[in-house]
Amino acid sequence: MSDAPRRLDCRAAADRLYEYLDGDLTPADEAAVRAHLAECAGCFSLFGFESAYLRFLDARARARNAPPALKRRILDQLLLDPGDADSP
Amino acid sequence: MPDTGRDTFEQEALVHLDVVYRVALRLAGNEADAEDLVQETMLKAFRAWHQYQPGTNAKAWLLTILRHTFINLYRSRRRRPETVDVTEVERFTVFREVQDVDPEGTFFDRLVDDEVLRAIDALPEEFRDTLVLSDLEGLSYAEIAEVTDVPVGTVKSRLFRGRQLLQRRLYDYAVEMGYIQRRAP
Repeated sequence: MSDAPRRLDCRAAADRLYEYLDGDLTPADEAAVRAHLAECAGCFSLFGFESAYLRFLDARARARNAPPALKRRILDQLLLDPGDADSP
Repeated sequence: MPDTGRDTFEQEALVHLDVVYRVALRLAGNEADAEDLVQETMLKAFRAWHQYQPGTNAKAWLLTILRHTFINLYRSRRRRPETVDVTEVERFTVFREVQDVDPEGTFFDRLVDDEVLRAIDALPEEFRDTLVLSDLEGLSYAEIAEVTDVPVGTVKSRLFRGRQLLQRRLYDYAVEMGYIQRRAP
């Protein structure tokens, strides 16, 4: 493997947008995207915008937990249920 | 004497109750059905606990049972989300429209949680499920593939399109509410 990252055009970089932001690319692909972003202001801005969008989604909707009454109902239900006691 | 697995079930499965509830809420669309769905899911999981391999991913296992339970029992009761013409999902159009006025996407932060959740609920089902598991609950691509029973490549493609479609709808809503000015044509 050579030291210089593979060159990507804007389309190829954009195809890897979310995999890059989700941290799911191989190190070589990640380096190639990073190299493209370092030299392309348009893609750099796009990736920044999309990154802000994902942070915004991440900040939403984690707040709600199961109601305590539901937890109690499930625990009661499990106590009464024979469960998998008959299984090997 | 082997116990019934009640203790390990409580330690390894019940700790994920909040995640299961939140996903159920998005699937079912209302609290009453979500609670029934969770209760049914946990009972099924408890009865099948001997099939669970200790040390594997209990959260993904529970969410898989949740999804199957929903599909079998509840989906017909819910208003079906629309199907979408995939050509509607154009790439990066929101960024192109806001890059001059709000390139950092600050308008997103003006949307309140309920508005965002309503928009998520209205997504076509396969996009919604994938996006909820990924972006609200933080599951990995591999975990989502397991729960939704599709290849990882399909997860990536659904996530890409689901995120873009949601973003477009949130943007249109933000414009409608006056949170951001639409760029003059």
